[in-house]
Amino acid sequence: MNAATQASGAPVTETAVFRPDDFKLKNNADEIRVDTNFVSQSFWKEAVIRFRRKKSAVFGLIMILLITLIAIFGPGMNGYTYSGQNLSQKNLAPRVPGIESIGILKGDEKISTTNGTYVVNNYKLKNLSNVYYWFGSDTFGRDIWTRTWSGARVSLIIAVAAAFIDMVIGMSYGLISGYFGGRVDNVMQRILEIANGIPQLVVVTLLLLVLQPGMLTIIFALMLTQWIGMSRIARAEMLKLKEQEFVLASRTLGAGDFFIIFREVLPNIIGPVITQVMFSIPTAIFTEAFLSFVGLGIPVPQCSLGSLISEGFNSFTPHPYQIVPPIIVMSLLMLSFNLVADGLREALDPKLKEM
Amino acid sequence: MKKYALKRILLSLFTLLVILLVLFILMQLMPGSPFNDEKLNAEQKANLYAKYGLDQPVIVQFFRYVGHMLTGDFGVSYNISKNTPISQLIQTRLPISIGIGGMAVAIGAIVGLVLGIISAIWHDTFVDTIATIISVIGVSVPSYVFALALSYSFGFRLRWFPMLFTAKQMFSSSVLPSIALSMFTMASIARFTRSEMLEVLGSEYMLLAESKGLSGPALIFRHALRNALIPIITVLAPLIVDLMTGSLVVEKIFAIPGVGSLLVTAIQSNDYNVVIALSFIYSAMYIGIMLIVDILYGIIDPRIRLAKKEGAA
Repeated sequence: MNAATQASGAPVTETAVFRPDDFKLKNNADEIRVDTNFVSQSFWKEAVIRFRRKKSAVFGLIMILLITLIAIFGPGMNGYTYSGQNLSQKNLAPRVPGIESIGILKGDEKISTTNGTYVVNNYKLKNLSNVYYWFGSDTFGRDIWTRTWSGARVSLIIAVAAAFIDMVIGMSYGLISGYFGGRVDNVMQRILEIANGIPQLVVVTLLLLVLQPGMLTIIFALMLTQWIGMSRIARAEMLKLKEQEFVLASRTLGAGDFFIIFREVLPNIIGPVITQVMFSIPTAIFTEAFLSFVGLGIPVPQCSLGSLISEGFNSFTPHPYQIVPPIIVMSLLMLSFNLVADGLREALDPKLKEM
Repeated sequence: MKKYALKRILLSLFTLLVILLVLFILMQLMPGSPFNDEKLNAEQKANLYAKYGLDQPVIVQFFRYVGHMLTGDFGVSYNISKNTPISQLIQTRLPISIGIGGMAVAIGAIVGLVLGIISAIWHDTFVDTIATIISVIGVSVPSYVFALALSYSFGFRLRWFPMLFTAKQMFSSSVLPSIALSMFTMASIARFTRSEMLEVLGSEYMLLAESKGLSGPALIFRHALRNALIPIITVLAPLIVDLMTGSLVVEKIFAIPGVGSLLVTAIQSNDYNVVIALSFIYSAMYIGIMLIVDILYGIIDPRIRLAKKEGAA
């Protein structure tokens, strides 16, 4: 009041004094109508609704949870260990108590020889009436059920590691590069282009020349190669947002660069970031499986889905059941992560849904 | 455009140089040297070092090394086949790998395009659902799973195609590996074509073409597909990466005497020279293809060209 009159140039002669009845609540509750047809909802609530509408994504999520649960509890569910060998019980077909009486999974296996195909049951031949290998046993007499789920653990750990790498390295790199712009951005983008020019296969191969094969090496290899896609997306999003008013407001209020990057901009781009993380997980799982298949993955007697497939491959014409469980688990895992990522992309980006 | 192309070429060359530097450092770090013989005295060793240029400063050695690599002189193999020049090992194997890779790209591109177009034309119908399921599976399931499944069903059970690669039946034994390798290419092209086609089909110039009385194939192929095809070039680069990694495993499964299986054997038997030579070849091919794709894209799509110009200015 004071300032306004001063600014207009008029001399101030008296000051206004407010009385209590100057300000009254209007009590307009009856006049306000909340639209009940289109209730306003928080972003996340709406995202959950959109996600649940997509059947394939829900299926993927359930499969991931299921596989994670069995990977945690599965290896302890029977008496076998992942490395325990029993050479007298090798190459036994799957046999599950309960459903063996209805005629499937009772330990029968087809053997093809030059004399023709016939069915044998090694459990009966070897007098193992009380022995059950739910997924069968491998060429060293190890339980495939236990090994498959221990392998799934490895894949899931790799998945978590990949997600973490994406979030920490890729996202920060992209955000910082995009936010500061100018020379910083130029240098960082040239580094990225060079890193992107080197095939992942070559990076991994060369790393393995120097380091011992194992979980840490695989994670390190992922660290060197996985961040690029994410950093591109984070940078693009940052470029879109950094000129907006809320960033300017925050800066005017005295926020530092890193506060703006991680507390102001990051929450606004979390949708594309999460989607990209989900898409990078199948790639990471595949990389591990691929390395193990080539013989550079997890060292024996530990196992991963990739090394199990590699072992199963060596005897997959006479005993195909040995390779089936790890293949199905890995394919399901990768498929589920892809489905969830697809669903998330649509759920977190309403614009895409309208198209 | 010229400026952009030049920039891309320079960056590619620099990337190649970085890779060569890494490879060179790795070679220096490798334990043991060919001259570790105890019978050699100091003078003989010095002579040998002088003969192979090892007494020169490291920087000279590096550029000499770059020269050797670029002219295809990769040294000799230590373990796989003793003292055979690596270029000779690769010479016979590279055409096989490229042949199968090319076949995979061809199958993947054709089938993928057809799938994508079909599911875009009849989108949100039963056909679309089927095509989408196929492409989701193709993207998520690794190529060696397909390789194993194909080799078991069509190779081992049905015996339509040979399970293992033989030089005598070059074509029929390349069919299964090519299909297995092409699955990812096919699926990603199908997905991409579908979304691009949907976007083009919904555009106003399609409405115009339709209201001018065009219909059927002319509408789809002359007007829609042409515009939808352009962005598909961008997916080529990731596909090439997948073909490279995929070929390693698929070649192992089908016992194909290609470059991929050579790399696997070399890694497993610690034949550093071969690993490094192949790493270089893979990188060079990759960088070359990326460069071509980038420049091609700039030539085909004028919007990119203009955007790049504005970005550079």
